[in-house]
Amino acid sequence: MSGQNVIELLKSCTQCGLCREVCIVEQLGAHSITSFLCGEEDYSSWLCSSCWRCQEVCPQGVQIHAIMMKKRREEEPPSGHEANLVSVLRSGYALLMDSDINSARIFHGLEPVQLIPPGYVEMLLEEREGGTTGG
Amino acid sequence: MTKMALFPGCLVLQRMPQYEKAAIRVLGELGIQLENMPGAACCGAPLESFSDRWLSLAAYNVSLAERLGLDIVTLCGNCTSTLLRAKAALVDPDLRLEANEPLEKLGLRFEGSATVKHLVEILTENLDELAQKVTGELPWRVAVTHPCQAYRPHEIALFDDPLQPKAMSRIVKATGAEVVHYDAEFDCCGSTLYLANERLGLEAGRRKLASAGRADVLVDACGNCQLLLERFRGLMPDGGGADGIVVLTLPQLLGLAMNIGADELGVGPATARALAKKAA
Repeated sequence: MSGQNVIELLKSCTQCGLCREVCIVEQLGAHSITSFLCGEEDYSSWLCSSCWRCQEVCPQGVQIHAIMMKKRREEEPPSGHEANLVSVLRSGYALLMDSDINSARIFHGLEPVQLIPPGYVEMLLEEREGGTTGG
Repeated sequence: MTKMALFPGCLVLQRMPQYEKAAIRVLGELGIQLENMPGAACCGAPLESFSDRWLSLAAYNVSLAERLGLDIVTLCGNCTSTLLRAKAALVDPDLRLEANEPLEKLGLRFEGSATVKHLVEILTENLDELAQKVTGELPWRVAVTHPCQAYRPHEIALFDDPLQPKAMSRIVKATGAEVVHYDAEFDCCGSTLYLANERLGLEAGRRKLASAGRADVLVDACGNCQLLLERFRGLMPDGGGADGIVVLTLPQLLGLAMNIGADELGVGPATARALAKKAA
């Protein structure tokens, strides 16, 4: 993610509103990060369909996704996102994976898969002193 | 036979063996053999909202393919973008060093050499072979929904028109089927939005299905799209606003055009009956 803070990332935004115009969340009557970009206070950085259309249409090249990720880390997550996080930290997958996975695969004629070995997730995601990957 | 590493992602791995099965079968017909990636984990996307450590998980997955000496095929837009954006971020020598530190303890190394391509891109590269394998024109009017993050951000995806992609329509046209365009064609399905707000996610999907209602079949090429538009359709207030439109994954449709049996493509008997009725 960008090393710049939100204020720096917002520098080139002219609040033209194009991002908000193409946002599916806004079209559904709710308020996303694009409302924040337009100077509104009523929005949630979590209300997003991850379609990236806002950033794609921005004439100024504002890194809207990076801004959204920074804002998310300051805002309370919805339970669905939090559950996925907990699951990834615990098992390496966003959804529950157990032996049933391979039973279903065999039923469908697919080869069984080898899941991530125990202990790997902790090794990959452990906080490292002085590192930039610690959240 | 070209070999590639298949990265199914959590959603397809856990809930959609049918999509994976059809993708393996259809790419096999085109001379591309998909290999499992033993030990592959989540792409890293769910971590990104909380921590920069998502890069470590993405680097791990890419390094597994590199150990096999294979390039990666993805089935979800989100996994595609996550792995590609991680590869782009890990060009930075400090970030790469940091990502490789735990990988080396596991006997792995992220080099950034494996390419990551979504299924739609692979099919686009093999369009002539695909057309040759089609045995007869499909009798349905087909609408397509695009895996947003296989095209965006464009500077990372480097594939197709980022706002109005055409690849999926071209692929469906190669089967001889009629492609039906609709107002909400380029709108997102709403699947990720469902995670934050179920009502809004389902409403996005309902609008999409209602808009595509003139078609017989709606095809997607992403676990997220298939989840919301097909599996969650019953949760929508009016069952998706499009009575009887059949939702298939792209390789399932292509397999049918190659005269591969519905059961070999993970197309269930009820769906096969609905398709037969549409053709009548």
